[in-house]
Amino acid sequence: MDSATLLEKLSTMLKVDQINTNHDDLYDASADRYKKYAKARKVLDVPLPVAIVYPDSTDEISRLLMFCNQNNVNVIPRGGKTATEGGLENWKELTIVIDALRLDKILKIDDYNMQATVQAGVPLQQLEDSVRKLGLTTGHSPQSKPVAKLGGLVATRSIGQFSTLYGGIEDMVVGLECVFPNGHVSRIKNVSRRAGGPDIRHIAIGNEGTLCYITEVTVKLFRYFPENNQFFGYLIKDVETGIKVLREVMVNGYRPSVARTYSEEDAAQHFYHFHKNQCVLIFMAEGNVGMVKAIANGIEQAVEKFADGILEKVDSKLIQDWFNHLNWSQKDIDDEFEGMKENDSHAGFTTEISADWGTIPLIYKNVMARIRSEFPRAGDLTMLGGHSSHSYCNGTNMYFVYNYKIKCNPEDEMRIYHHPLQTIIVEETLKLGGSMCHHHGIGKYRNEWTKEEHGSAYYMLETLKNAFDPKGIMNFGTIYPQEDGKKYR
Amino acid sequence: MKIVCLIKFVPDVEEFKYDYQRHVLIRENLKQILNPDDACAVACALMIKRSNPETVIEVVTMAPVSVSGHLEDLLRLNIDQAILISDIRFSGSDTFATTRVLARYLKQTTFDVILTGTHSLDGSTAQVPSQLAEVLGLPQMSNVVALDTSSFLKGKPSFDVEHDTSIMTFSVDLPAILSVSRDSAYKLPYVAYQDLNRDVSSRIRVLSHQELDLQPQETGLEGSRTEVRRSFVKNMIKKDKVILNNDREGIEAVYCYLHEHGFVP
Ligand SMILES: Cc1cc2nc3c(=O)[nH]c(=O)nc-3n(C[C@H](O)[C@H](O)[C@H](O)COP(=O)(O)OP(=O)(O)OC[C@H]3O[C@@H](n4cnc5c(N)ncnc54)[C@H](O)[C@@H]3O)c2cc1C
Repeated sequence: MDSATLLEKLSTMLKVDQINTNHDDLYDASADRYKKYAKARKVLDVPLPVAIVYPDSTDEISRLLMFCNQNNVNVIPRGGKTATEGGLENWKELTIVIDALRLDKILKIDDYNMQATVQAGVPLQQLEDSVRKLGLTTGHSPQSKPVAKLGGLVATRSIGQFSTLYGGIEDMVVGLECVFPNGHVSRIKNVSRRAGGPDIRHIAIGNEGTLCYITEVTVKLFRYFPENNQFFGYLIKDVETGIKVLREVMVNGYRPSVARTYSEEDAAQHFYHFHKNQCVLIFMAEGNVGMVKAIANGIEQAVEKFADGILEKVDSKLIQDWFNHLNWSQKDIDDEFEGMKENDSHAGFTTEISADWGTIPLIYKNVMARIRSEFPRAGDLTMLGGHSSHSYCNGTNMYFVYNYKIKCNPEDEMRIYHHPLQTIIVEETLKLGGSMCHHHGIGKYRNEWTKEEHGSAYYMLETLKNAFDPKGIMNFGTIYPQEDGKKYR
Repeated sequence: MKIVCLIKFVPDVEEFKYDYQRHVLIRENLKQILNPDDACAVACALMIKRSNPETVIEVVTMAPVSVSGHLEDLLRLNIDQAILISDIRFSGSDTFATTRVLARYLKQTTFDVILTGTHSLDGSTAQVPSQLAEVLGLPQMSNVVALDTSSFLKGKPSFDVEHDTSIMTFSVDLPAILSVSRDSAYKLPYVAYQDLNRDVSSRIRVLSHQELDLQPQETGLEGSRTEVRRSFVKNMIKKDKVILNNDREGIEAVYCYLHEHGFVP
């Protein structure tokens, strides 16, 4: 099938205003924030999709997927467009983007059973604003909350800034509806728990558009007590001290909603008003009065235990102020994009990994040492550091952050800077048994390590693809390595 | 058409760090960069070559051999050849002696135009291009901010020169020396990813004292007429960082500061 025939066929299935072939919009749809700089400079080397379509219903999505499956048309599901790892990048000539724009309804907010059901295209901020009016919260607060949509958030296994208390999206999703390439619609019912065989929600959660299209999601709701929030901040000796305090809090069973440790460099860019070139440790205790009191106690005890590494307490008001301005709005994203058109710079990149408590400091140390000694453009780095921002009973994550003077052509930036840096981080993480992708998903550029990430369990991942998407029409190149995609590296 | 670009590598002064306790510049680990005005001159030459691919560009520099890596990067940018004039006996040369060395080479070669920078980041005397013009008997102009390619290719380029508040357009008969300013819009491209490790070393020719047939008393300190009586590092005062809030008081403080320093009325 050629693109003209594809468009003709689409026009028999959808109304005119459901099919977008505007050149600028197709260019925008051909890549995500992974290649943000090349994209802003208009030098992307990937094919444009043939169309972006806006289905009105699950039924329409089912018919579209069936059609694409029969005709070998690649499909990229799309939500809020905040993907960072190439999940929205197009690697096929014959591709359509199925955008959840019109699946924008909040279907039900059930404040007795504490759950809300929404269509995939509802922005998280909109849902959060609606439930806040009832004194509730979804508990999900990724930095991209103002822009990201529920379908995308579930498809990437996203995590929010209050995860230590509320969990990642996988802890929040109760049930969902999704559509497979053969058109089959599966509805996973909403129950508090069950032992009905393997938890099939996890086939859809985190699939990054490679197995099915998520059309509807039901998430948990929680009581919200903002008036009780307490903030804690400390300047600390080193990252290791911070990790030890985080561990102490977690293993003692306390669940602050925020628990973070920043390296000196990362602290300097976040806390310009108080960092004093030191590492920073911060907490937020949230919930009902009794809970907050207990958590606050737990934090103070842990800090006391590692007093040797604590340099100074920070005014809690400063932490609160900082926290209130952390999210990225669409305007922030657009401003960065405009800035990249003019300047040889951007806001930097990140790579997020996870491991157990004992391993995280080692990975951090090894990565820093290797980048400084091995990365050919180390002299161009303007920032290299990291923070741990999501902790669990048995370990934590490390969010490596870096920026550099871009001294190359825009089309070469990823090959010269971000990818070699990401490679070092991923290699050092996998070497010590950590995970290379804590919450952004694998996308298209970490797929070269998917097999290593999963080891012998890759068999299960591969079998899922073969079973649900045997013709490989769903988001070609994402998660699953593809020989034919290597040319875009 | 052959363009010679006279270029110089200088310490990246933007990276200078200052030791406020000892009042000295910290020079360790300072990187060498292509002088910004010279980079614009090379970029201008590359622009001409883009419209006339037959154009041959030769970069000429007097420098230690340690700049070879930088020259190789230029050769990976569609520059045809590099002349590296290098000899320990050149060290200490002032602008007079430097001019003599460069002129010796330039007299041996052919060219239609010499493009160079107006100022260098380190010395900034702007003397070499005009002294060279004098020695070679060529017309010379500094502060060139734009060069018209089509008239250039016809052999009589017109070009814009920035002078205080005005921009003047001139034309000149070739050969000539044009000194480009970093206020021009010419920007040196980056080496493409696939060319980063391309071997271009065979296109660098190194010329020493001997090849240029220079006498020991013509170069280095001996051949220089400039006497440096005294040099000193300007004392700098460390200012404390002031952090203001985004409120009336903060805005007032910023306004007063700008007013005091004459940035706002
Ligand atoms: C400024 C900024 C801050 C961020 N902060 C965080 C953070 O704190 N935590 C975090 O986890 N992530 C964060 N991210 C990453 C990103 O926001 C998340 O991955 C988010 O979940 C993507 O949601 P989206 O709606 O924008 O999805 P999109 O970007 O549109 O899509 C993301 C991926 O999901 C697939 N997909 C989208 N919708 C569907 C669907 N309905 N069915 C099947 N597949 C689908 C796409 O094909 C793609 O592979 C951040 C990104 C930015 C730009």
